[in-house]
Amino acid sequence: MGKTKWMATLGIATLLFGSLLAGCGGEKSEQANGGNKQGEKVEVTLAGWGGNPSEQKLLQQTIDDFEKKHPDIKVKYEVIADQYMDVIKTRLSGGQGPDVFYLDAFEAPALIETGALEPLDEYVTDEFDIDDFEKPMLDAFKGEDGKIYGFPKDYSTLALFYNKKMLEEAGVEVPKTWDELREAAKKLTKGKDVYGFGVAPELARLYYIAESKGGKVVTDNKASFADSKVVDALQPIVDMHLKDKTAAQPNEVGATWGGEMFGQGKAAMVIEGNWAIPFLQDTFPNLEFGTAELPTINGKKATMAYTVAYVMNKDSQKKEAAWKLISYLTGKEGMKTWTSKGYALPTRKSVAAELGFDKDPLRAALVAGAPYATVWQNGTNLPIIVNNFNNQFVSAFLGERPLADALKEAEKTANSEIESQ
Amino acid sequence: MKQTFTKKMWRETGSAYFLLSPALFVLLLFIIGPIVFAVFLAFHKVQLLGTTSFEFVGLDNFARIANDTRAKIALWNTLKYVAIVVPCQTILALVLAATLNAGLKGQKFFRIVYFLPTLTSSAVLTLIFMWMYNQNGFINHVLEAVGLPTYNWLGDPDVALNAIMIMNIWSTAPYFMVIYLAALQDIPDSLYEAAELDGANAWQKFWHITVPYLRPVTSFVVVMGLIGTFQLFDQSYIFSAGSGGPNNSTLTVVLLIYQYAFKTLGTMGYAAALAFALAIIILIATLIQRKLSKEESLY
Repeated sequence: MGKTKWMATLGIATLLFGSLLAGCGGEKSEQANGGNKQGEKVEVTLAGWGGNPSEQKLLQQTIDDFEKKHPDIKVKYEVIADQYMDVIKTRLSGGQGPDVFYLDAFEAPALIETGALEPLDEYVTDEFDIDDFEKPMLDAFKGEDGKIYGFPKDYSTLALFYNKKMLEEAGVEVPKTWDELREAAKKLTKGKDVYGFGVAPELARLYYIAESKGGKVVTDNKASFADSKVVDALQPIVDMHLKDKTAAQPNEVGATWGGEMFGQGKAAMVIEGNWAIPFLQDTFPNLEFGTAELPTINGKKATMAYTVAYVMNKDSQKKEAAWKLISYLTGKEGMKTWTSKGYALPTRKSVAAELGFDKDPLRAALVAGAPYATVWQNGTNLPIIVNNFNNQFVSAFLGERPLADALKEAEKTANSEIESQ
Repeated sequence: MKQTFTKKMWRETGSAYFLLSPALFVLLLFIIGPIVFAVFLAFHKVQLLGTTSFEFVGLDNFARIANDTRAKIALWNTLKYVAIVVPCQTILALVLAATLNAGLKGQKFFRIVYFLPTLTSSAVLTLIFMWMYNQNGFINHVLEAVGLPTYNWLGDPDVALNAIMIMNIWSTAPYFMVIYLAALQDIPDSLYEAAELDGANAWQKFWHITVPYLRPVTSFVVVMGLIGTFQLFDQSYIFSAGSGGPNNSTLTVVLLIYQYAFKTLGTMGYAAALAFALAIIILIATLIQRKLSKEESLY
């Protein structure tokens, strides 16, 4: 083991130095590639994380259509299987970044701030029809300077997934408010075998609840979640786990995430997004489940929206071709192909209307959430804030300390980390 | 004696360095170079993405460590880990080696079996252990069957680090066992014979002959163990998917360095400072160990 550690250290050191070397190398090759001759095929690199096989097939089909329309452009599609952002950041700083790549809204502000992305406003034509995008999703990729750095390819909101059989047996209606959900969970729980509610104790999934009583998680790009209003809003989640014993996180029942916990019948209700639908249908074909809009808090509707955009590398030498690719993939035609099977929901209103997911029995609840959803994004420091929140929230969730204390300490740690940047 | 450098000597030295040059080049490029660069980074605020910038900040990065709660947690976790794993794996390795050297039937077979965990890649090992540590996994089933309490090994902050400790002791002890085995072959049989004539039993022979004779090897094993355990990374990285959770319980110093270097933007300099500080801590720990064991041979 001692040896492998040395190798790892050496590896990291080499990587550091290697990226420096690669940086020098990159600049030279850029000059060499400077002018593309007419008629020559341009190769554009597109990087993303992998989806399930059916998703991959759809994307490949979209890319094939694009290549048919643009015979002078060849798309090299790369899948980054793990630690996507770490790989992208390292490759970008080494000058080896892909021309076009996926970017989660959550990571966007920090990456835009570094100046590693190409602003796309100049490229946009009237035909591209920018007003067709759902505004909150598009705004997520606007920089401080008001320029657009990426076009959202799809999104998902959160909805309540419920096990039809379990609800029927317990004689519970699908909950419409959080109070109803809490009562329903009590009836649905069967000791430690089945929990009424499967919950992910992390900020990405709790943000809308945290802010439901008027408190703010982030204020002026700093953590402010120790606010008593935020604590009050989150307390019921902790109480459901500790007092009612009707809620559990997936790893308490041996599952890795909510969808798996729900599919295995260890939770009667979970809050998940569109990604859970194909997973549940493929992995648990006999499971009868339904979706509903998230229960209201204090009579107000709220949910989260997660969106991912295609962005362009500022150092790309093939910007024209890269833009053609982005404009096709996020254009009406490309987006229609990509979202046709419903693995992802379209961010263009016209495509959404054409595909009619608002009438799909499982996806209607997700689509209905879009207008009032909070986009999962808040300034450049959100990654630091999330990390500290998650770490401390778990300790409160597990009953090691009161929620207020845990969040107070997390806020302090997060802010001192932000200040010393 | 007067030393003169004749032409011949110069030529010899020159050709020696010429022949060494490939090795020196590799050494400079991949070991010395990165070390120097890391030290350089430790004194700068570094932004690598977009517009690359290096801003000299003196000792700011080191001062920041003192105010970083997560750095303190990481250091505390690492120290706890070192303090438990190093003695356990050393004692286990010694006991295993002594047992396998006692002349039992089939000891060659057992030597191979015990050594197998060391041959497995630590990433694969961690994934397999995570599967066994699952709430409904093998280990909890065994514990339940014998009437012991079960744990949420992966999700409970109080046990997550212990889970990694158990796994690492299990997988590293055999590596040091092999080193002990080799050293055991060196102990002259005459010592044991003499002890037997004096009426020593097996335990006394082990305690008064084997252990003192192996002291230099133990020293080596402890130093290598210290270095290895201080650099715990891959297991806790895979265990927590890179976050060091739950509740920072598996956050180690190297994992923190990784997070600052590659996860948060613009903190590469601070990460280098942390790495520098870790190197110093390991150096001090090793020096203390050498002072305590008063043994300077072998390495």
